[in-house]
Parts: sequence; C-alpha cells; structure tokens
Amino acid sequence: MTALALPRARDLSEDAQRLLWTGAIVVGASLPHWLALAGWTLALLGAAVTWRLAVALYGWPMAPRFVRLPLAFISLCGVIFQFRTLNGSEAGTALLVVMVALKFLESSNQRDQLVLILISYFMMFASVLTERGPLTATYLVVLVWVTTVALLQLGRRGPLLPIRATAVLAGRLLLYSVPLMIVLFVLFPRLPGPLWALPGSTSSGASGLSDTMSPGDITNLGLSDEVAFRAEFLSRAPPAGALYWRGPTLTHFDGRTWSMQQGARRGERVADSIEYRGEPTRYRVMLEPNGRSWAFALDMPESWSRDRGLRMGSDYQLGTFFGAKRTRVLDYEVTSYIDYSAREPLTPGEIAAFTSLPEGSSPRARALAATWITDGPSASTVIDRAMGYLRSQPFQYTLTPPALGEQPVDQFLFETREGFCEHYASALTVLLRAAGLPARVVMGYQGGELNSLGSYYIIRESDAHAWTEVWLEDQGWVRVDGVAAVAPERVAIGSGRWSGAARTAVDRVLNLGWLRRAALAWDAVNTRWHAWVVGYGPELQRALLDSFGVRNLKFTERWTLLLSLAVIGTVGVLVGLRLYAGWRDRRRRPIDPAARAFATFTRALVRLNVAPRAPGESPVAYAARAAKASPPAAADIGAIVAAYLRARYEPDPELTALAELRQRVNVFRPQRA
Amino acid sequence: MERWAANWARRRQGDDSHNVALARRRIYILPTRFGVVFGIMVFAMLLGSINYGASIGFALTFLLAGLGLVVMHHCHNNLLGAEIRFLGAAPVFAGERAEFRVAVHNAGIAARYEIELAQRGHRAGPVDVAPNGTEILRLGIDTERRGWTKLERFAVETRHPGRLLRAWTWIHMDARCLVYPRPAAPGRPLPQSGGYGAVGRTSAGDEDFAGLRAAAPGDPPQRIAWKAYARNDVLLLKQFAAGDRAPCVLEWNILAELDPEARVSQLARWCIDADAEGRALGLVLPGVRIPLGTGAKHLASCLEALALLDVDMDARGRATQSAVADADTDVRVRATHGAVAGAPR
Repeated sequence: MTALALPRARDLSEDAQRLLWTGAIVVGASLPHWLALAGWTLALLGAAVTWRLAVALYGWPMAPRFVRLPLAFISLCGVIFQFRTLNGSEAGTALLVVMVALKFLESSNQRDQLVLILISYFMMFASVLTERGPLTATYLVVLVWVTTVALLQLGRRGPLLPIRATAVLAGRLLLYSVPLMIVLFVLFPRLPGPLWALPGSTSSGASGLSDTMSPGDITNLGLSDEVAFRAEFLSRAPPAGALYWRGPTLTHFDGRTWSMQQGARRGERVADSIEYRGEPTRYRVMLEPNGRSWAFALDMPESWSRDRGLRMGSDYQLGTFFGAKRTRVLDYEVTSYIDYSAREPLTPGEIAAFTSLPEGSSPRARALAATWITDGPSASTVIDRAMGYLRSQPFQYTLTPPALGEQPVDQFLFETREGFCEHYASALTVLLRAAGLPARVVMGYQGGELNSLGSYYIIRESDAHAWTEVWLEDQGWVRVDGVAAVAPERVAIGSGRWSGAARTAVDRVLNLGWLRRAALAWDAVNTRWHAWVVGYGPELQRALLDSFGVRNLKFTERWTLLLSLAVIGTVGVLVGLRLYAGWRDRRRRPIDPAARAFATFTRALVRLNVAPRAPGESPVAYAARAAKASPPAAADIGAIVAAYLRARYEPDPELTALAELRQRVNVFRPQRA
Repeated sequence: MERWAANWARRRQGDDSHNVALARRRIYILPTRFGVVFGIMVFAMLLGSINYGASIGFALTFLLAGLGLVVMHHCHNNLLGAEIRFLGAAPVFAGERAEFRVAVHNAGIAARYEIELAQRGHRAGPVDVAPNGTEILRLGIDTERRGWTKLERFAVETRHPGRLLRAWTWIHMDARCLVYPRPAAPGRPLPQSGGYGAVGRTSAGDEDFAGLRAAAPGDPPQRIAWKAYARNDVLLLKQFAAGDRAPCVLEWNILAELDPEARVSQLARWCIDADAEGRALGLVLPGVRIPLGTGAKHLASCLEALALLDVDMDARGRATQSAVADADTDVRVRATHGAVAGAPR
C-alpha cells in the first residue's frame, strides 16, 4: 500500500469532497459531547469516520454488511448496558453518536449525507441541553454556519460551488433568520415545567453546603472558588457585613454533629409573625445547580418569585422542597429586609427541643454556661457574656484547625481554641443552649465578591458560613455570629478576601492584577448571558408583558397573547424580508435580454439628442428618426435595429441574433453629425 | 392529484409564448421529503426545548425554523424573474430521443442556482445561471410516433438552497419537435421505376464517378470524398455524372401491399438511401407532392412531408383517384424534364 499521504483538496474527486464535508460536520457536531461520552462510543465514531474516509481517499473496501449489522447491534446493546435506558439526554446523546457513526460508515449517496447533516443539527441541539455557557453558544453559532454551508454544498446535484461563495450565501441565510429567531425566542410562550418527567442526570455532582455539620472532623477547609450563586441588587446593596445569605438550619445535636431536624416543617405560618423594618432590599439570585432543593436569600426574605415553586420553611429558609434535585440554574427575585424581628412564638415543646443537649456531652461548656446564669441575668446579658468569653480568650480564626477528639466542643473551647465558622457556631450554640436559651445553627453564605464590571455579587463556596440564632422571648430569633467576636474582619469583608494562610498559591496568583480582572470580566459576560439568555423563561416573559402594561393575565390568556404576538411577529419579519428582497429586486427587474440591450442602445442615442423612444413608436420608426439625426451612424443603427427585431421577434435557436445585437450595441460609438 | 393541480395551473396561467419571464403568481413551492423531515426535526427540537426549559435550545430551534422560512424565500426568488425561452428542437426519427432546447436567462444581478427542467420522468439540468447569463438546457424526450411531438407542459424547478423545498412553475408553450418516421430496415432496393413506367434511364452503373469539386455547406456528407480529405486536408465533394443516377420519384402507391405506417417507414428509408446515393429525389404522397431535388434540405423536407402525412388522406383520396393520378403524372413529367435538362452537362 502506498503511503497514507493526504491528497490535496483540489485533487479530490467530487464524491470524496462531499464525504469530507459530511465527516467534518459529524465530528464537529459531536465535539461538545466528547467529554460526556464513553470511550467506546468515541472510538466507534473515530473508527467509522476513518474507515469511510479511507474508502474514499485510498480505495479501501466498504465495510461489508456482515460487519455493520453486528456492529449496530452491539453498539445498541452497549448504550443500553451503559445507561440502563434509552431515555434521557445522556443515553439519547450516546445513541445519536452511535447512529451517526454507523450511518457515516455506510453512507454512499446524497440522501445519506443529507440525513447526516440533519442528525448533526440535532446533536448540536442535544449539546445545549447540558452545556449552556457563552463559549458553547459561540462554538455552536460557528458550527451551525459551517453545517449550513455543508447543507448547501451537499444539497447540490451539480458540481460543488466555491467554498467562499457558499459560505457567504449560508451566512446571509442565517443572518436573515436571526430576526425570526429573536422574535420567536422572545415571544414564543414558555411553559414553567417539563412536558414529561425528566430522568435525572446521573453524573451531575452536587457541591456546596451539606445538610450536616461536624466541626472537628475537617482539619483543612479547602476554599473552593466554585460559584454558589450570584446576586444582583435591584435596590441599594446593603453593607458587606449585613450580607448573611440564609441556608438550612441545623437544630439537632448529637454531641459531635449538627443535623436538620426531620419532619419539623410547619408550613408558612412562621412568615406571618415576622415584622419587617426599614428599607426593602430587592435582588435577583442566579443559583448554580447544587443538587439540593434549597435556595438562598438574604436574612430576612419578605417576598419572592412565586412561580419558581419557592416556599419558606419554618426555619425561614427558602426552597423548592418538592420535586427533584436541581440540575440547572435557578433564577429568582427576592425582597428582603435587613432589619427585622422574627417574633415567632415557641411552644414549650419547641423550647425544650431548641435547648436540648445530648446527655454527657460537653460537661465543661455546660459548667461554664452555668456560671453565667447564677445571678438570673436577662437573655441579652447571657449572650453578651458568651460573646465576651470568645473575645477575651485567645481564640484564633483559622482554616486549618487541629482535629478534635471525643468532646469536640469542650476541646475547642478550652484547649485548641482554633477553628473556623463551624467551630464557633457550634460552640456558641451549645453554650447558649446550656444557658437555657433556645438556639440553633444556621448555615449559609456570608458576604460575596462584588463584580464591579457587572455590578453584582459572586458568592462562592469559599464564602460558606455558619452562625448561631438564639430565640429571645421579646425579640424572637436573633442572629449571633461567633466569628464576629473573634475575626470581625472575616465578617466585614468576607472570606474571599480574608487572606488567611490557607489560600493557595494559585489563588494568590488569581488575586493578582489583570488575571483576576479578566476572570471577573468573563464572569460578568457569563452572568449576563445566564441572566438574560439562558434564564429567559416564563418569568422574564411575564416581566416583559408587565413592562408594556399588560398585567394580571391568567395563564391561558397570557399564553394566547404571546402566541399571537409570536405569529404576528414572524409574519411581520417575513413581510419585512420580502420588502427588502423586493427593494433589491428593483435593481434586477427581469426584462427581455434583447430589450435590455436595445435600451442600452437608446441611452447611447440620447447623447446625440435623439429623443427616447416614444410609447407606441415602433423600433423601425425610431431607427429612422435616429438615422436622420445622425447620418454617419445610419448603417450601424439599421443593423442594430435589424438584429433587435430578429432577436426579439423571430425564432433565434442559437441566440445568434441576440449575441450579434449585444456585440453591435457594445461597439456602437455614435459621432455627432 | 398532480394532474388536477397541473390542469388547475394551466387554466390559471393560460398558454405561454416562446419567451416567458417567471412572475410571482405562477411560481409554486412545497417542501421536499427532506424538507418535511427537517420540519419534523425542528418540531422535535421545540418539544425538547420546552421539556428541558432550555433557552439555548429554543434559540437553536428558532434559528433553524427561521432558516427554513428564509430558505423558502430564497428558493422562490431563485426562479422569480428568470426568463425561459424555447429555442427549438432538431427533428429526429421516431424512436430516437428528441432534444428540446430551452434557454434559461438570468437578467438579475444574483446568480440563479440549480435550475432544472422536468417533464414526467425526464429531467434536464441542473445548471447554475450567472448574472446576466444564459444557459441552455436540453430536455430529452423519447419519441414513438412520427409527426409533431409536443412538450405539452414542462416544469422549470429548483431545490436550491439545500434541497429543503422545491419551487417550480409549469410552462405550457407550443414547444414541438418534428419526428420523422422510423425508417424501415435497410435492404429493400430502391424502386427502379415509377408506378407508371420507367422514369429516366435504368442503367445499373452505380458508381459513375465524374470528378471532385470543393464541398459547400449543405452538401450531403455521404458524398464527401473522405479519402481525399485524409490525403489533402481539403473537403471535396464527389460528383457523379448527371443522368448516371436515375432520379427517383417515390410514389405512395407503389407499396400498396403494406399498411400505411409501414409504407411511410419504407418511403423514409428509400428517401435516405436515395439521398445517400446522391440521386435526385421526388415524393408523391396523398395530398403532397415534392418535386425532384437533392441535398440535405431537400431530404429534410421529404422526411417532413412523410412525418406529417395524414394517412387518412389516402382513404379519402381514393374517391378522387383520377385527380391524384393526374397529379402524379404532372410530377413525372417534371421529373423527366429535370433528368433531360441535366443530361448534356
């Protein structure tokens, strides 16, 4: 066999070129899926494409049927074995890629290639179900363009066109489709929920807050820069120190681990007992997928987007609570009040639950708390004493605390005295409970990084925080943050810029200058993209209608209105395109070629002061008039008119008369008599 | 269904002249099968987008839907304003393929792509027509019977861009091709005498070569001296002594034993043979007389007369047998004159 040198493009046969187009599109469309695909699927695709191209380029034999059929069967089994289903986007994508590989392997004619182009469009669609970033979208725009070029090329029966001309045509077709896309994108009525149940994605890992907390088990808190959510303030942003993003509440303590109390939800009764004061703070949250049903809001949320399925739990936490774990960005608006009183009455049973400590745990802490209440002080005095203790003793805020043993709370309070938020929240809550005050641990995020390029806050996993809430009879639940007593700057400026020793070298590099700014700029692009494009859905659609003064519509009314608007908009754009094309066509109005040439001739004669042909004046009469005006040109004029009459009115099978007419008109240079 | 639509279009459009500019109201457009599949795919994408609430999915779906609509517009525009002109069709013998030449002229500033002609199973093209350019398409139609083969209706169509849609128009112009009779198998010798006695000399000398002269357009190719051409590179025509080749008047009645179509076929064969031998040829048919003559044009008019011969004329003509006989005599006399006149040269 000869060396596998790639033949030059212009030496390739037409068939090989068509096949190369198809192969390039297939591979390009599958590219966004590569990371998610199993190795064997990719190998199958690669082998199929290689083999088929080798058939075209080096004359290999086609894959025979006895190879293709078993291969198809095995591949199908492979997909089923891998995913246990053919439903859902992951299995569906794998199936698509397998189909494409096998179809390409056997492709032999124009129809096969066009079908592959269609499947490629569909693969691109499958990739936007999981990947929605602006980079993927940009790649897809280019890919759609190239695929459309291929569609135009492969759809031809005649020889392929030059690539540049086709690329321009495809670009123009797509450019004209963009207004239609925008109209339909904005106006096509969106539904809040899926049409049929979506099988859960198997690989989407959950990161973020956990629903339990065991201070002392973690000795090195990795500060992940992963984004938990972003918040854009629609009203004035509160100071960084007031940015407590409320998450799950942990009420149950077993001496080592805090956990959520199961079955403690009592609906939304609690919200009625909250008194809000001062200025409302409005903001929009774009919550990254965290595999949880809960959402975050500033302490204390007052109202929120209803159609996101958000509800407030008994512990003031927002969440969807029903339904599957979230695997995509949740976008909601909340109004919170920084200043509030949560005067929720507690039953004696609840007071008992919120003051309970497991038997035998933390004896020294209990003893310490007991010394604070001997003089029967007010609750706030007790809190002051607890905070005073943390402040006066040599406590240190560190992200790399030592491991804690049997009695983690006692050991932390009296021996190591090193820890991060979880240690302080846990210890403070134990102390307050021991002093007889109902207390609980609240997990969430504190602070956030302001992206000044996009004027929103980025809240990262490294901003995770835990604090204590204590219930006072006259004030209700009050936030007490132990860390504020030990490392006030951590609360004031947030951990993101709280540069402890734990920040890694890479992080420090990220903190430097332009790289950080570039990262922030990219995040701003990303966020705008997610906020206005990816996040465009029923809610923004309703906001759009609201902004035009169309309010208080029922769901079906809104749906009908939007659908009619979408249809009207589409028709409008099409009419606009038609008008534009008509305007362009005026420059290419179809007339008889002979008449066209004759018109050129009459324009030349105008220069000799021969008046243009009058309506109804026969060409012969006109010629006579022109010949009189310009006797030297009479012979030429006569010949042109004769050729014109022949070209226009006599059978002219080989177009010779027309050619003669054109030639004569072209060389006609009349001289003034 | 197709026929019904075509008839409807014909009633709507009326007949066309030999030069048609395609106007908006006569261009029809429908998705191809591939286009329907494309539509189904876009619809599936729409369902998927709704189900997954995928905004980018919506965007892609609507972009492709928009592409479909824009392609429709382009496909329609690709035909709009094109000028279709029937250029003619060279006569063929029955059984051969008639080639209707149709010019597609593009007076516009944008190229027109993939223009095809279609007539039932026959297709021509596709061609791309450059701005202000003209392309000639040859639509081949199989012929069976002599006479005029008409292109009752043909479609000018395009599937550009991307084969998603087919835009077409029906054209009903008087496009016809003359079909000569299918010549009978060679072998039957030329009749040596007319039906009413010998005409001219009956010498058997076949190849009385008289000399060469420069060939001129219109000379029968059978008489070109190809050997001389190979030697000297000059086209020369073989000339035969006048009178050596008896003029041949073919009469309808000398083949009375054959049925009319077979007669026509045999006469066509003889016409060709006589022309090949360089003999002056005359034709006497019911209602038609062709005086003696030679050359390609003459042969063509003989074959045309045969092609268009209405054999029923014969049946009707028997009643006036004597009139026909008179006419035949008249031709014979003139043929004799021709032969005599040529003899002294």
